[in-house]
This record gives sequence, C-alpha cells and structure tokens, in this order.
Amino acid sequence: MEPLGESVMRTPHNGAVVQRRSKTRSYRRSYRSCLGTTSRLCLTPALTTRRLNASRRAVKPQTLTERVDPAHLALLVKSEWQLSYVTPLYQFRHTQLKSYSKQLSAFIVAERQQGLAVEVSELQNSYRVSLSVLQGLTESENDPETVLIQIHSKPLFAKQDEPQRSVWSGWLTCIQGSPEYLCSLSKDFTCLPLFGSRGPEYLSRVVKSWFQKTFDCCFGPLEINHTSLQWFVALWVDCHSQSNIQHLKMLWTVPAEPPLQIMYTVDPQDAWDLWNSVKKEEAAKEAEEVGCIELEEVSGYLEALKSHFYRHFRLDLSAGILTQVSTALGLAKDTGRIKMSNSRHVIATLTLLTECALLKMPI
Amino acid sequence: MADTLNLSDSDRSSSSDQSVTNRSNNRSLRIAEKERRKNEAEDSFVLAVKYFSEVEEGTPVFGNDQLDRNLEVVEKVAFSKGLSPEAISVLLEFAMSLCMGNSPCVRVLKCLIPASVVPQQAVVRAVVWLNVSKIPISTQVLFIKWVLTVFDLIDAKDQLRAIYGFIFSFITEENLCPYICHLLYLLTRKENVHLYRVRKLLELQSKLGRQPFLMHLLSLYKVFCPELVTLSIPSRIRSGFKSYNLPWKSALMGVQKRNGLQVSSSISSAFTVKEKSISRKRKHCHLDLPALSSALNKEPQSDLTSRRKMVPLVQLSSFSQMLKNMHRIELPAQMGSLLGSSLALQYLDCVQEESTLLRLNFWLGCALHEEFLFCSQTSEEALQFLNNLLSVQHFLQEGFSSSEAFLYKFLNVWDGSLLRPQILGLLSNIPVIPSTQIGRLLFEPLTQLFFTSSLFFKCGLMECLNNMLLKWLTWHSVYALEDDLDISLNSHTSINITLSGFKDSVMELVHFVGRLASLGLQLEGCNTLLLSFILDFYETASDTFLKFDLPLVVMPPPGVFYPALLATDPVSVDRLAYIMHRYKLNLTSAKSQEKRTEQAFHISRQTFLEFNHYLVFMVNCLWNCRMFHANTDLHVREELLHKSNVPQPWARFDFIHHPAFMSYAVDFHQKCWPGRKAVDLDSIKQSKPWSWYLEYLFNQGFDGLKDFVHSSITKQVTPGDERGDSQRR
Repeated sequence: MEPLGESVMRTPHNGAVVQRRSKTRSYRRSYRSCLGTTSRLCLTPALTTRRLNASRRAVKPQTLTERVDPAHLALLVKSEWQLSYVTPLYQFRHTQLKSYSKQLSAFIVAERQQGLAVEVSELQNSYRVSLSVLQGLTESENDPETVLIQIHSKPLFAKQDEPQRSVWSGWLTCIQGSPEYLCSLSKDFTCLPLFGSRGPEYLSRVVKSWFQKTFDCCFGPLEINHTSLQWFVALWVDCHSQSNIQHLKMLWTVPAEPPLQIMYTVDPQDAWDLWNSVKKEEAAKEAEEVGCIELEEVSGYLEALKSHFYRHFRLDLSAGILTQVSTALGLAKDTGRIKMSNSRHVIATLTLLTECALLKMPI
Repeated sequence: MADTLNLSDSDRSSSSDQSVTNRSNNRSLRIAEKERRKNEAEDSFVLAVKYFSEVEEGTPVFGNDQLDRNLEVVEKVAFSKGLSPEAISVLLEFAMSLCMGNSPCVRVLKCLIPASVVPQQAVVRAVVWLNVSKIPISTQVLFIKWVLTVFDLIDAKDQLRAIYGFIFSFITEENLCPYICHLLYLLTRKENVHLYRVRKLLELQSKLGRQPFLMHLLSLYKVFCPELVTLSIPSRIRSGFKSYNLPWKSALMGVQKRNGLQVSSSISSAFTVKEKSISRKRKHCHLDLPALSSALNKEPQSDLTSRRKMVPLVQLSSFSQMLKNMHRIELPAQMGSLLGSSLALQYLDCVQEESTLLRLNFWLGCALHEEFLFCSQTSEEALQFLNNLLSVQHFLQEGFSSSEAFLYKFLNVWDGSLLRPQILGLLSNIPVIPSTQIGRLLFEPLTQLFFTSSLFFKCGLMECLNNMLLKWLTWHSVYALEDDLDISLNSHTSINITLSGFKDSVMELVHFVGRLASLGLQLEGCNTLLLSFILDFYETASDTFLKFDLPLVVMPPPGVFYPALLATDPVSVDRLAYIMHRYKLNLTSAKSQEKRTEQAFHISRQTFLEFNHYLVFMVNCLWNCRMFHANTDLHVREELLHKSNVPQPWARFDFIHHPAFMSYAVDFHQKCWPGRKAVDLDSIKQSKPWSWYLEYLFNQGFDGLKDFVHSSITKQVTPGDERGDSQRR
C-alpha cells in the first residue's frame, strides 16, 4: 500500500470541528475515518500514512542520567522486557497515580483470592503496588510522561520481618510518538502505546486486565519484525565509535528441513568498517539529513553482511529471517523481548519501539 | 386496590350466579344455599380477624378453643383465596408482637398468603418488632423468608429503604445473615453504599469465609461504588441467591392462579441467572465480550451529588426502565460490553459522544486485528463473534469504522473462503469511499479475489456489492432529503462528500461491477446463477433516480446485456426486460424533470445513446426479427450466416424462436391448434395469434416482458412491419 502523500498530514489538529445541525441520527458522523480525506476528527488515517519511518536520527550520545532518576534508569536497563502495544487509555490522569495504586493492589488481591471481596482504600499486606511517573523520560513535548508500575510482595514462606521484594515491574511509555496521531486524539485519551513488563506471567495478566477494565484499552503482543531488527543492527553499529559494541550477533532462521538456525557473529571493528563503507558520505546528503540513517543504508548494510556470509558458506541468508540481534548495547528478539544494556541508547530504542507500537493501533 | 379486586371478584360471581338462576330454578336453590354458606364463611373470617386484632396480650394458648377455631378459619381462607391487605396487617401485627407466644406466631406466619398486595406499613412494623420482642431466631428467619417471598407484592418500598440501616444491623446475627443479605440485595440503592457498611461486610467475610450471599451483596456494592470495594467472582459460581425452600411459594402461586392475577414476577425476578461462561480456558481472549461493569474512575469534575444520581447501565433490566433513566445513564467501564446486551445497543444508538464511540472502535479494531489479521482462525468463537458483530451492525444499520479499517487490510490477505459469509456481510456495510481511493482500497483486492475464486465466491461477491450499493443509495436518499439543497453526506460519515463526489463513487462502483460481471460471465460460461446475481445488481442500479433520488444512471456493459438477452433461460430475459423498463422510466422522468425545473442534470448524452442502442437492438431482436441489422454490436458476416445453414437467421431470437421461449411457443401452438400434426411456429406471427401468444406469455408470469412491451413498443401491429418507434430520449 502506498502512502497517500502529504495532504493528510496537513489536517489541522486544533479540532476546528464545525458544529453540525443537530440530527436525529448523528451516530455515524463521529466515526473515525480510516481514509485520507478531511476527517472530522482530524485523524491521520490508519492505513495510509502510518508506516515505519524510512529515515531516523542516529543516536546522539545522551546523558539521561541528568534527567532521569538513576534508580529508575537502573531499573530500566540491564533487564529483559516483554513488550506489548496498548490502545489509548481513556480517562487516565497522571495526577491520580496514588489512587490507581490502591485500586490495582486491591484488584490483584481480589484476583488472587477469587470470591473474596477486598476494600479498595485499605493498605494491602500481601501486595504493595506503586504507580509513579518516570520523570524525564520523554523526548518531544507531545509525549505523555512515562508511567512506572512496581509490585512488591513477600515471598510465600518469608519470615515476619523480611522486607517486601519487587516481584514484578512494568512501564508504559511513548517516546517521540507520531505527533499527528497523538494530537488527533481527544483529551479524554492518553496515548502510551508501548508496554514493557518483567515478572511472573500471572501478574502481567492481572495488571493488563486491570488496565483494560479501568481505562477501556486493549493489549496485544508486540513482535519486533524483520525490518525493525535490521534497524537495531544499524543503530547499534552506528554507535560503535561512542561505546564499544563488543560484538554483533545475529540469529537467522532459515526455512530448511529440519529448521536451521544460524548464529552470525561479527567482530565489532569489522562491523564498524563495513558500516562506514556502506554509509553515504555526509557531504553527499542534503543538509537536513545530516546525522540521519536512511533505510537504504540499512538494507545495503544487511545485503553486504549477507553476501559476505554467502562467500564463506555458500548459504544465502535472504531466504531466512532475522530473529534476534544483540550487541553489548542491547538485545532484541522477534518475539518482542528487548534488553537495553546502555542507558545512553534507551531513548533511541524506545523511539523505534514506540513507532512499532503505533503501527499496531487498530485505528 | 385489593378491595376493588375482591369486590369485582364477588360481583362477577354473583352476576354469573344470577344468570344461572334464570335458567334453572332448581339449581338456584342450590346456589342460594352455597351463597349463604359462603357469606357465613366470610362472616366467620371477619370475626376471626377481629379476634386477632383485639386479643389481649398474655391470653393463654393451650386449651384456647377460640384461638384454634379462628386460626383454622384464617388458614382455610388464606390457602384458598389469599388474605386481603388489611387481614395481613392485623395478622402480622398479632404474630410479630408475640401476643400469645411463639407457637401461634409461627402458625400465622406460615399462612400469610396475600391475595393481592402486602401493605408496606405492616412489613415495616414487623421489622421493628424483630428488635423489640424476643422472637426466637428460627421464627425471625421464617419472617425474613416470608418477606423475601412476597417482596414483589409489597405495595411500596420507600419506607423499607428508609430503614435500610436498621435492617443492615441484623446482619451480625449469624443465622439471619444469608436472608438479610438477600433482602438488602433487593433494597440496595447507590445512596445506601457506604464505606462503613463495606467494612462491616468485609469483617463478616473474614469471619465466615467465602459465602455466596456476602459475595453477591458485595458485588452489588461494587456495581454502585467500585471505588470502595473490588471483587472477582470465580466463573464457576452462578450469580444470584440460591432458591430457598420457601413454604409459601407454591401456595402463593396457587392463590394467584385462582384469583386470576398475574403478578408475573414473584420472587424469581430477583435472581439474575447469568449464562454460565465456558469455564475452559480460552485461547482467543480478544473475542470475549467484556462484562458490563461500572466505571471506576469517573470524570473528576463531576461532583458527588450528581454522581450519586447516575444509574449504571448494568442496573437497567428493561426498556421502560432505560427510557425513564435516559438522561442519567452511566456508561460502563468497557464500551465493548455494550455489544453483548440488546438493551445496551438501544442506548448505543443514541450515544453522541465521540470518545465513547472511539473507545468501542479501539476495542473492536483490536479484537479484529489480533484474531483475524495477525492470526487467521476459524474457531466456533470467531464465527460467533463475527455473527454477533454483523447483527449489531444490522441493528444499528451501519458499519463501525474499525471494522472498515480492518477490512481494507484483511482483503489483501484473505483467501476468499475463510469465514466468507461473515466477511462479505461486513464488507457490504462499509460506508461510501471517495472515488479517488475506492480503487486501491476495494477494487484491487476484490478483483484479485474474484478472478481466482470459485463460482460461489463470485456470486457471493455480487450479492455483497449489490447490498453495498443499496446501502449507499439508501443513505443518500435519507440524508439528501434531510439536507434539502445541500446534498452532502458529511452529516453522517466522517468523510466530507459532496453530491458529485458521491455520484463519482457510485459510478465507480457500478462500472467496477460491470467489468467484473462481463469477465465473470465469460469465465463461467454465462452461468445462470451468476447471471441472476448480476441482474440483481442491475435491478438496483437501474432505479437510482426514481427510487433513491440520485441523478445518475449507468447502463450495463455489453458483456452483461447480450448474455442476458441471449440467455437460454426465460427468467434472465424477463429480468433484463424489467431492468430495461426501469431504465426507461428513470431516464424519461429525469428528462422531464430536467425540462421542468431547468436544472442541469448530469445524465450524459452518452447514457441516453447507450440506452437507445440497447433498446433498438432488443426490440429488433425480440419483436421485429431484424437481428443482424446494421449499426448493431453484433457483426456477423453474411458468408458465415450462410455457412451455418440456419434458415432465417435474423428471426432466430424473436419471441417465438428465442431458445428461452421456444418451448412456450410450441406449447402455445399445441393449445391454439390442437388438431394440427405439423408444428409451424411461423403461423403464430399472424396478427391474432401473435397477440394471443403475447397474452399467453404474460400469463406465464413474465411481468418484466409485459412491462417492457407495454412501455417500449407503441404500435401493436403485426410483426414484420415497421413498428415500435422505440427511440426516446
């Protein structure tokens, strides 16, 4: 499907909706159009414009530590997150996080002991839930603040005085989400499309179910597709000059009988040299594109890696798909698991993932 | 009310008695005797009730013949006719005050069968007695059970609700607790739910454990105040209170039946027995409709008093209730839940707020994408889900935008057979697409599917496109009328479409179907079934001006017209004739309106030319026997015609020799000239038999042909002559 072009992007966001004459049947008019014409809700149509960017900024060395609480940052990096996408939250207020914490903890307790009612305002002994704003983790002014969810609990056979431990954590974020999409939503909705979680599956399920019931949103698995994984390869290799990637590992799955998995490891210096040879000269680029990585550069790089592999092993990787990428900076799996090992690249990673999540939005 | 009922009852019986007396004297004596006895019984009943109202406290029970006698009288009346409201008041007062101790109290309670209603006042007084006199627990339980049984017959509930807190206080009594919980469940309103009551119930819960009665009351509290209490009910537990073994129930039903009263709801209405959800773990979690539940975090600005007045949608159980509370209905926490209840759908139809519909669309879109686009499946649940969605869209008479967005994506990956009826059903609901995009979104994927799929898919798609056209045209005709001059569709689609834009889209659609149909007929060897679906479409397309007020007429392409005209089955020819007749009516009335209002209509000259062209050919072919005339689309070389050895090739497709009508001609010939051995069809062409033959054909039900002949062939002269000035513009 081809993009429609710019006409759609220019729809005004301020929602200058003309009040129509009152009708007996005005039901249909509030529908979001999925077409590109001037929609009443001024939404960028789902089908036509939302695609993965073909060009993105190279990672700037960012010192997030200045903006973000180091404790929070430490929580975010160094662990593997399972990703989901979330449709916009209805009536979510960043100011109400305290009361949400109480509600969620009561909900978890109620779910654990089916059939027993739980008072909401009471402090729960078994589970302590805290929802908090992860201050500073935003990039553009349209992005809503990231929300961090932590669940603490005592182990089953704990001693009386043993402190509660963190058993589950998760976050909802939106980094550099498409401004067209964000602005098109009415103020009743908060768009935090990317959800990462870590911890026991049943807690993830309960937390999701509470969000669904409370903010009328939906969760779905977010896989990282072939193209996005290629982007991760390029983004990480491009950082080698700033922080050593140590190795570039790619896992390819080749459709053979029996299924063949190939781990392709590249020496960091070789990867860097190859990347430089593929990358266009800065001077050749137009002024505004300086510092950007183009999609053709990415696919050119992957082509070069594949042909190198072919030369050695007589095996064409084009037939297979990339399922996992890892460097010292991070790890990404096609099943939707991500690990960000270096705090300097958190923003770039989350930006790409936010984009993927927004692509999954049904409308 | 009870009095009047009783009155009318006796009236009826006496009047019927009279009529009987007139008939037979002998019987009247018997009746009179009966009447006398009845009066006596009534008198004794009145006396008995009087006894109970006046009996002094502390009167001994044992050996009290008077008491026994009166009790017997009361019991007899109660179980046969039921007790009047006054009698109930008196007896309840007698029993609950423990005037004569416990044993008569129990006996009286057991026979308290109301004939019509129970006065609220009496129940309230009795509840007060619960606290004052020292009634044994078992009797208290009996009393509460009685209240539960007759709850629907209590004439008002406002005073009972006023003593909610008083009733609530009995909850600590362990034996009474289940029944009190049930009574509270029936009485609870939003304003009764308070934190201290929640805490009291939770305290009880920790003492008694998982008790269904506590759970149900708490879950009702959760409906009203989800911010106070939360609870998840295991799916295996049936909702509703358990049905106790209530001694009055059968007697009450018997009395009501005898009195001819239909207090339909008795106690059973208090139980909402939900459909048991399938307990096995579902793989397709997105296909479950969420349950209706009240929202937890409401608009923060709405103040407490106005929030108190809101009615959660879950609490409404009938349409009249909904109408009464229309202005203060509180939407559920998850909009998707509306799709599961027919009552909620009625409300959805009046919802104006955009974010509300957006919530619904997010949910629906997510479910469709997750379950059908990202993983295809054909499970029973998927089928049920789509059928449900279809019936909802049918009810609302329009499609959801999320299902539209889903379809545009899905068509590109669809194999054309997965859930075909459902997908085509959803497809026919999509609103008008601007003509600039209709090709890319709709025609490209559909063309691919059409040419690679079976005959049945082709027929299904034709039907779907016909429905789509019908819906578009209907929207137009409804909203064009509303908008007067400003004929645009922007009032009901989010896309601004002007009249000319709308016309373009419709034209694109009709042309697209024309292309598909022409090629489809070729591919399938002019299959009759496919042709029939195609003609369905053109029946709609031919009437755009007269039926739907849209100044646009598009003729079928030759690839459809000729196969239909030369079809071997008479039905297709007949339907084509009908379609041509409708085209003619539409074109002529458009023309005359154009002249009258001097408005520039945009029905192009080309359309008129095409129509005339078809019409001339049709008349020449069926009527004039001049089929291979010059200026027609069918060019067959003379030599080829010679070679075929067909005699009089130009007449082979007239009404007599047309393969579709030949059998009728032969049949007609036999009926007309029964004696003749040799069949000479040409003899029908003489003036008289020809008109008889036409009459005969029309009588076979070929109304299309009849309309066509009457409207397009003006001079009825013998065939062969120059006739039928059919050229009209």
